[in-house]
Amino acid sequence: MTKRLSLHTRTTPAGPVIELVGELDHHTAPEIRAALPALSLNPGQQLVLDLGTLTFCDSTGITVLIAARNHALAAEASIVLAAVPDRVSRIFRIVGLEQVFLIYLTAQDAEAAWRPTAG
Amino acid sequence: MSKTNDEEHGGAREDEGPVDDRAQFSALLEDSAEDLYEHAPCGYLSTQLDGRIAKVNTTLLDWLGYQPEDLVGRKYFSELLTVGGRLYHETHFAPMLRMHGEISGIALELKATDGSRLPVLVTSTVKKGGGGQPLLIRTTIFDARDRRAYETELLRARQAADRERDRLQALTTTLQKTLLPPTLANVPGLDVCAHYHVASVDEVGGDFYDLFPLAAGTWGMFLGDVCGKGVAAAAVTSLARYTLRAAAVYHPDPVAVLGNLNTVLNHEYNGADPRFCTVVFGLLTPDRVHGGFQITLASGGHPPALLMRADGTADILPTPGGQLIGVLPDAHISTTTVHLAPGDTLLLHTDGLTEAHTNAAIGGGERYGDDAFLDFGRALAPTTATGTISAVRGLLDTFGTGVDDDTAVLAIHVPRPHSDEQQ
Repeated sequence: MTKRLSLHTRTTPAGPVIELVGELDHHTAPEIRAALPALSLNPGQQLVLDLGTLTFCDSTGITVLIAARNHALAAEASIVLAAVPDRVSRIFRIVGLEQVFLIYLTAQDAEAAWRPTAG
Repeated sequence: MSKTNDEEHGGAREDEGPVDDRAQFSALLEDSAEDLYEHAPCGYLSTQLDGRIAKVNTTLLDWLGYQPEDLVGRKYFSELLTVGGRLYHETHFAPMLRMHGEISGIALELKATDGSRLPVLVTSTVKKGGGGQPLLIRTTIFDARDRRAYETELLRARQAADRERDRLQALTTTLQKTLLPPTLANVPGLDVCAHYHVASVDEVGGDFYDLFPLAAGTWGMFLGDVCGKGVAAAAVTSLARYTLRAAAVYHPDPVAVLGNLNTVLNHEYNGADPRFCTVVFGLLTPDRVHGGFQITLASGGHPPALLMRADGTADILPTPGGQLIGVLPDAHISTTTVHLAPGDTLLLHTDGLTEAHTNAAIGGGERYGDDAFLDFGRALAPTTATGTISAVRGLLDTFGTGVDDDTAVLAIHVPRPHSDEQQ
């Protein structure tokens, strides 16, 4: 099966921004999950998952978001989502994730909202 | 320079040898035409157009144990073949050769004089005269014993792999069965039906359901979906199923039951490879006053149930705010209560159904979706549990390979009194 997901990472002063492009499902999730531990995060930084170009996300895809959250929390960093598509936000509502993740309209909004925490 | 093709005898490398050696080397090549024919590393055979052998080289004679006079002018090429090979020669080889003027790489077996068989690869071409008229057939024959042995080994390996695959599928099927109740409990006054659709025979899926008696005339039911597939997901499915059964006996309040499951899964699975499930748990109590059943549903992030009423209407039964079970320390669980009156049907499902590709056969990317599912319920109502499940099975059939995740459905229905009198 051809991979239907690609991942773009960029670094900002606020922390890394990961853009997920394509379908996040049981075919593509393991690879992304495996890539997470290598992602460097400093305490107080903010990890942004930009979902603007995510076309599909099933239950296995959601484990990626939770694994990313666990990774961020373990590094004493925070995690936010940006540009969550309607389809995906509907799944989030069903599984109750919209209460777990702070969500911004765009990655720029997320970046602008970040404040370095002292200490 | 093409000399290097035939340097076997040499040791006469041009750069190290004086002129004498080079002359000797050329001499070796020059008288080689006849010798090459006779002792080539393959068999040569020339036959007349009817197949009668006209010329044969020593290599082939040695392979088969013949003298030239045994064959030349006496035998036909097909007589060197096994019975099966002769048949193939008559029906395919010779006609193809006549039609195309050549045929190559055909695997056949030759019979030697000692009765042994020699697997070979045969290539033939028709030699033509100046006017294009066919004159004779030239055939080269390669020893294919090594290749045949390799093929046999390949076949054996493939058969072993097939057996392993069958074993794996049998194991998967057995494991899958242990995760589902062999039969659903018979609830007096309730028509119950369930179906589990297996998307892949190679991997255990993570869906589960059950319906079972609790104390004091109440019943518990659940249906859920563990994220992921395979043995790792099956372990969570098993844990979830038994935890739910045990928790319900201990304290049947639906919120408490799912809270317990959340605690158990949280202990077991978190970190870099989180495992969660979405589940709906229901407590069923017969309504002595109004008839039918009182149902309290608690949802942990599961797609809402579909309620199909006796009056032919249908709607989803929202349980907003419930959170997936197993990864958040204090997952919020939401509840809703519904009265299932005679003629009503409640359908629980996993998202394998709504996420199915509707046009997989023609490569379409559309998924079935919640709206289509609600329309399906509206078209179906009023219905029964068995009617609902058979309609869902029909729907899954139309998706074919588009259902790429396992799907579980559980329908409960309160039959109307004297339902057989109402046509």
